[in-house]
Amino acid sequence: MFTARRRVVASALILTGSLLLTSCGNSDSESSDGKTLTLWHYEGSDSAMGIAWNEAIKEFKATHPGVTVKFEAKGFEQIQKTASMVLNSSDAPDIMEYNKGNATAGLLSKQGLLTDLTAEATKRGWDKKLSAGVKTTSQYDSNGVMGSGKWYGVPNYAEYTMAFYNKDMFKKYGIAEPTTYDELTAAMDKFVAKGITPLANAGAEYMAQQYLYQLALSKADRTWVDKYELYKGKNDFHDAAWTYAANTFADWVKKGYIAKTSSGTKAEDAGVSWIQGKSPILFSGSWWYGRFESEAKFDWDSGLFPGSNLTLGSGGNLWVVPKGAKNKNLAYDFIDITMSKKIQNLLGNKGGVPVAADASAITDPKTKTLISNYNTLSSRDGLAFYPDWPVAGFYDTLVSETQKLITGSEKPDAYLDNLQKAYDKGVPQQ
Amino acid sequence: MTTALRRWPVLVALCIAALFMVLPFLIVLMNAIKSPAEYSQHGPLSMPHGLYLDGLKDFWQRVDYGQKLFNSVLISGSVAILAALLSILNAYAIGIGRIKGRTWVLAFFVLANMLPQEALVYPVYYLAKEVGLYDTRLSVIIVFTVIQAAFGTYLLSSVLGQFPREIIEAAKIDGATTWQVLWRIVVPVSRPTLGVLMVFFFIWTWNEFLLPLVMLISNDNQTVSVALGVLQGQRLMDATMTNAAALLGVLPALVFFLVFQRTLTRGIAVGAVK
Repeated sequence: MFTARRRVVASALILTGSLLLTSCGNSDSESSDGKTLTLWHYEGSDSAMGIAWNEAIKEFKATHPGVTVKFEAKGFEQIQKTASMVLNSSDAPDIMEYNKGNATAGLLSKQGLLTDLTAEATKRGWDKKLSAGVKTTSQYDSNGVMGSGKWYGVPNYAEYTMAFYNKDMFKKYGIAEPTTYDELTAAMDKFVAKGITPLANAGAEYMAQQYLYQLALSKADRTWVDKYELYKGKNDFHDAAWTYAANTFADWVKKGYIAKTSSGTKAEDAGVSWIQGKSPILFSGSWWYGRFESEAKFDWDSGLFPGSNLTLGSGGNLWVVPKGAKNKNLAYDFIDITMSKKIQNLLGNKGGVPVAADASAITDPKTKTLISNYNTLSSRDGLAFYPDWPVAGFYDTLVSETQKLITGSEKPDAYLDNLQKAYDKGVPQQ
Repeated sequence: MTTALRRWPVLVALCIAALFMVLPFLIVLMNAIKSPAEYSQHGPLSMPHGLYLDGLKDFWQRVDYGQKLFNSVLISGSVAILAALLSILNAYAIGIGRIKGRTWVLAFFVLANMLPQEALVYPVYYLAKEVGLYDTRLSVIIVFTVIQAAFGTYLLSSVLGQFPREIIEAAKIDGATTWQVLWRIVVPVSRPTLGVLMVFFFIWTWNEFLLPLVMLISNDNQTVSVALGVLQGQRLMDATMTNAAALLGVLPALVFFLVFQRTLTRGIAVGAVK
């Protein structure tokens, strides 16, 4: 009886021992011999970026025989939560995708965790390929504030917001696709009269605040944006643009353009309600494009928000080279390949917004609209970033305050007061 | 007759409760075998029109699920065995050995158990980096062995505090050493409780997310629950694939539970009789 028990104990001990041995035998340190490129990104493998970057890796292998590429797909949240810890250790990759903005790439650059790319950017001509609005998120000053200073990242793509129109629904009710602001409100009135809520909205996430910011932008100019986003002057939430935005937004809810019940919905719900043909108009970003193209079963079109020179948008996420990267030259070579015409054109044809593509090489008709709209926008310097950027934690304030505006529990004036308070508290002292 | 009538409401209440428990799993299952287009067209609550297994297949290949499964079993298995071992050793000293100041020691263990893991992240990260264990599975095993053993010690100490002392005295009179008392008497008698503890340790460690997320950087070292996080995009979510992943993530723990279900009920029943 005892021997049987002993055997069980012994085998348990052996099992544990061998488990422990295998668990520590995995410390293959990255070599710095210029023979491996460790690369991390968090784009889905079938998204425009995922496809283009996969091709870039192939291209890199072809031009760098003998170099192995160690690619690891990461989750967005994992990179967000652990970036500063990883970059501070010896396990940092050679190149990785990272979120642009003051609170993310700016913060890491301030902590000295990123490599200064200024020399490479001028030498390899990346600075010439990017337009002014896109470049803003690549450069950070010594306080980690974007817009000026050294280069710490290079984006391969841009993003911007637009109105997506369900053409079938417009046709069914005999309504013309709007090209001016007045036509837009007229069209929405007609939909409301037919008992349809014209705008898909998500109050629990970024969508509602983007409607609001877009309305403010339609009354604003570049200096206004610089004031709000880059702290060039004092931002007043009771100025003409913000007041117009808050009042108009509240008015839109009252008129039924935006459903009161949308205060608690997620962006996914809004996107799905547009795909299902429940709401004819969705105002959101180019990140939906690929999905709509493959899943929308009706005829649709997209256009810039009517009556506004500026719209939300920016350069996409950045390629950054960690300070502790062991093969920096390989990383620079890889960035250079992703900026080449071939990869950029591929990115465009797959539904992304390339920053340095040949407009003539884009063959897909839907994507052509996407890119020509982007070109219009970038030629008039129309990228105005996102409302939650200036202050850390402002996103949550905007979501909860805008929800109150949707439900009508807060008047536009009080809404602007609260935004001002949160903004002033969080804005960095210059 | 009257008792049967009285039981009716209880039965109905239990059925409703069971339905609520099972419903989320059903929704996960339904959406895991839907195609993305179908999901977008008809929403999450519609019945799937056909069997679409690409989501499961894609996810398996994308994250190299076999490797993740191995890592999770390795980590959870080691933690379950080591933490149970550590717990019984501690509890033997506290519950049967009745060391001085045992109330304070127990209070300390409870406190350690209540500490939120977010508070542990940075200290553990720095320590692991100092000793060169950052990004190894061993680091996670050590951390969770300690965390789980804190709870195990607390529980086992109170169980062993009630241990019939006559048995121990008898063994001592027969000339058994302290060590022999532990392995020949205490451990065999409290085996059901130990079994339950190990099952719990395994499942709890399996479901851990934050510390593995922070400590296991390379994809080769990651666990199942961290791999599920790969699908959470910045702005978009792939609902069907997330469901497929959730299904794959929950299955092993479910299988483990079914296999050890008898151990569990036995352990709980032993406690009830005493």
